[in-house]
Amino acid sequence: MQHDLTLLAPELLLAGAAMLMVVAEMAHAARLVLAIGLVALLAATGLTLGFLDADTTVFGGTYRIDLIAGWAKLILLPGTALALLMARAEIAGRAREGSVYALIMLVTLGALMLSGAGDMMVLVIGVVMTGIGSFALVAWPRDDAATEGAMKYLVFGAVTGSVMIYGLTFWFGGTGSTLFAALGRLDGQTLVTVAGLVALIVGLGYKAALVPFHFWAPDAYDGAPVSVAAYLSVITKVAAFFAFAQALRDLPREAGWPLALALIAAATMTYGYLAALAQTNLVRLLAYSSVAQSGYLLMGVVALGVSGFAVPGLQIFGGAYVAMNLGAFAVVMAAGRALGDLEGMGRARPWLGAAMVVFLLSLTGIPPLFGFFGKLYLFTAAVEAGYLWLAVIGILNSVLALGVYLRLVVPMYRSPAGAPGQTGGPAAPAGLPLRAVLALCAAATVGLGVFASLLPG
Amino acid sequence: MIWLALALLAPLSAGLAIFAFRRAPEALALAGAGLALVGALGLIAGAARANLPAAVLPFLPDLAIRLVADPLTATLALLVAVVAAMVMIFATGYMARDPERVRFFGTMLIFLAAMELLVLAGDWITLLAAWELIGFASYLLIGFWHRRDGVAGAATRAFLYTRSADLGLYVAAFLLIGVAGTSEIAATLATTGAPALIAGLLLLVAAMGKSAQVPMQDWLMRAMAGPTPVSALLHSATLVAAGAILLIRAAPMLPGGALLAIAAVGGVTTVVAGLMALAERDLKRLLAASTASQYGLMLVAIGAGAPVAALLHLIAHSATKSALFLGAGIFQHDRDSTDLEALAGAGRARPAILAGFAVAALALAGIPPLAAYFSKDAILAAALQSPLAPWLLPAALVGSLLTGAYMGRALKALWAEAVGPTLGAVPVMAAGMGALVVLAATLGLSFGALEGLLGAELPKPPLAVPVMGLAVGLGGLALGWKVAPTRLLGPLLTPARNGFALRGGIDALIARPALALATLCERLEARMLAALRRLGLSGLDLGHWLNRGDDRTIGAAIFGIAALGLALGAGARRTDAEIIDRAIFGLVDRSVALGARARRLQSGFIHRELALTVAGIALVIGILLAAPLYL
Repeated sequence: MQHDLTLLAPELLLAGAAMLMVVAEMAHAARLVLAIGLVALLAATGLTLGFLDADTTVFGGTYRIDLIAGWAKLILLPGTALALLMARAEIAGRAREGSVYALIMLVTLGALMLSGAGDMMVLVIGVVMTGIGSFALVAWPRDDAATEGAMKYLVFGAVTGSVMIYGLTFWFGGTGSTLFAALGRLDGQTLVTVAGLVALIVGLGYKAALVPFHFWAPDAYDGAPVSVAAYLSVITKVAAFFAFAQALRDLPREAGWPLALALIAAATMTYGYLAALAQTNLVRLLAYSSVAQSGYLLMGVVALGVSGFAVPGLQIFGGAYVAMNLGAFAVVMAAGRALGDLEGMGRARPWLGAAMVVFLLSLTGIPPLFGFFGKLYLFTAAVEAGYLWLAVIGILNSVLALGVYLRLVVPMYRSPAGAPGQTGGPAAPAGLPLRAVLALCAAATVGLGVFASLLPG
Repeated sequence: MIWLALALLAPLSAGLAIFAFRRAPEALALAGAGLALVGALGLIAGAARANLPAAVLPFLPDLAIRLVADPLTATLALLVAVVAAMVMIFATGYMARDPERVRFFGTMLIFLAAMELLVLAGDWITLLAAWELIGFASYLLIGFWHRRDGVAGAATRAFLYTRSADLGLYVAAFLLIGVAGTSEIAATLATTGAPALIAGLLLLVAAMGKSAQVPMQDWLMRAMAGPTPVSALLHSATLVAAGAILLIRAAPMLPGGALLAIAAVGGVTTVVAGLMALAERDLKRLLAASTASQYGLMLVAIGAGAPVAALLHLIAHSATKSALFLGAGIFQHDRDSTDLEALAGAGRARPAILAGFAVAALALAGIPPLAAYFSKDAILAAALQSPLAPWLLPAALVGSLLTGAYMGRALKALWAEAVGPTLGAVPVMAAGMGALVVLAATLGLSFGALEGLLGAELPKPPLAVPVMGLAVGLGGLALGWKVAPTRLLGPLLTPARNGFALRGGIDALIARPALALATLCERLEARMLAALRRLGLSGLDLGHWLNRGDDRTIGAAIFGIAALGLALGAGARRTDAEIIDRAIFGLVDRSVALGARARRLQSGFIHRELALTVAGIALVIGILLAAPLYL
């Protein structure tokens, strides 16, 4: 038991810190709330490094401390810290500021549960914890757009969540256990297997914003504060993919899930980029772009169990995605939400422009940036798993991606029609927290691309 | 090892230094290119002593970075470095008054580093990375004057074309790695059977994109919108060479079927692009079409089973074509145009430059003892000895004849009696060009030694070959000089000028079907919407139009397809944005009109989205239930 608690130290630390943050928020000490959060996240990251090689479970196999969960923490915890800084930059001094930080911590705790889930009930708890906190985060501004986005998010979450719980009961019935490790016993029970699988795909597909469970994403992101949109687009999404990996690695591939997921992946990346091509609102554009990136992550899940590149691919691209997507959202915070706000930005604010170029090129998959190596792993994994057609669609889509992202880069370096040197957009110069986020994300996107040898595999 | 580092890192660090310090770009550029040249010389010296410099760097697990400088790759590295150094010298003169010299020289150096990485790559992943990097650097360089009309479109088009073709390289590399279990290029070349054939054809697709082979030649013509030194470096000796280099390196693996396809593509391109060059009215575009035609000849040689002949022609062509582009740049400097009519007599005003231009032109036409005479003979000999000789020999001969004809035509235009302005002496530009002209004249003498270095002596061709080569070269020159292209080409003139309606080769493949599909979808969408409306959307429900984020998205996705097609078709991305905007705003206006009285917030449309979600769930269930059928 004590062994279990030691292994759970990062999660416990996070939970304790979140409680403390709620208390501090009652005292309206927003900066204290933020400080507690950042310290706890960094400490938890440090603790994680201690048992990165562990491959064990706690609480009777229901919660896994393994390579997937360990790397999930290494990606999600620093990502959350960056999101906290972004939120600080956006809402500093507003009423109920601290509640955002506390909610973010609780949602991240749910995300960790998702990525360590070894049991259906832990999975459900993870989905619910990430869900409820996120609804509140989206609705935080209390205006029409935010309310509508949160409403949509909630309705979708309620429907998909109930489908998921209902379907998972079939697996419990079939195996007599809620542990994923017992899923091998399903052999031969086709209908039961299918019911549970559908449930899993629906529930996690909603979290990961896969087509056709993505409809909430553009509205929720657009209604929420930009920093919250950035947070939701990376942390809960990446956690959902780790949860996929935890659940499906115990299920025989003969159940047919690789093909179903491959089709969803192809639809997701294509739809995401096509829709992104038409957006003029940067937040909505990034929302669709992150839908498309989900399709790439799903390629890693498709190859699970047959390719040695699948799990490293999820880890590398997951990390790259967190860095580059948070970075792109941070630029939007600094520049403004409309496509026109980018006009001439590269000239007027060269550092901001350079950072945006780095993030967008990494999202496109241009070497030697981090995103390229992640995609490379995922493509290799898909090919090894016998899904060459999926890799081809992925590569074709990266041509579409070029259209999506160059559409942003080109106006940045076109001199504005009006007075030279005049930036579009009303945005004020970026404050220290935002600059720190931009610098860290850019450094990770460039540096981890160059030093990819340090990564697992 | 140190030479490898010098060849790769010197241009890279010089390029980064230019961007960082933003001063003295010329000096840094010359230093970077010069050091790269020193490194390349060191590599070839090592390769000649059979002391292969190679490096294996731990990088991605199981996929180490490998760099090799065997005789082939060291030769190519030297070629790239020499041409780059000369073009840099020229560019210090050509770009002297451009306010954005920093960006120009920085990007050129980074391109140079990426190109050296590409030729020295010893594994497929490094090759892929370098392949993407040169594509991106070329996008930046073609679009260097992005504020001029049509330039941004040309750059985007070049990138889109070549990147679409890159698909072939990706899939081929994955296939070869999968079959061989290693990413080392040399080891994967032992692949045989069906995988080798498929990989060969896929590599051909990638090479067709980069080397501007029919039907993907159009981007190269438009890329002439970039500065002339860019064309001299990228569109003669490096970027476009990447395709041919890829096939030359893969040659040991290629089975008969792939060789046949390569020879066919090369044969068609050398004739079609040659005709286009003859009909062209702009000197730079003439040279660009000629480049595509010459790479067609190299593909013919590879297809005929003589990659060494292709390599020799690659080397000879690089020196001559770079010199020709630089000459065109000097004339452009005088007349501020590259239109052949505007350039009439520009050569007569600068006899020394014209002499250099003429030497390079004669060299390209295959007049002995200039460089391309030897390589073209090697290609003709290979075509003659190939089992496909009845097809390949005529294609190669026609290609050579056309080479003479369009070079003759260009020389005549430059020599014409006309007066025009001349802007003072251009010693720096002349120096860069002069060095390349000397190489174009004398490189042929080194081919014997080079064959020895590569360990692949070409068989001595029968006497008929040099006679044929010389005859078509001289004949072509005479025809081009004496006979106007209008008479020479006759009814072919108009189609040749329009790129044989192949100008839109890929446009026709991508843009038109996409547009047709978009129209169809739009109609379908309109029908569906009308049906839905009839299905009892009450007055209030009409208001949903106002806020239907995702209906707009579906519409927008369709417009996205249309817009992509339009972007490919129309080129200019500014127009493109307007069209998207107009389309979307049109849709929105219509929606607003319908829902003018509706309330701001509607939650009803979530139902329809959930219905789509449920449909998706049903689909997933169907797939999973069908699993026993296909497993």
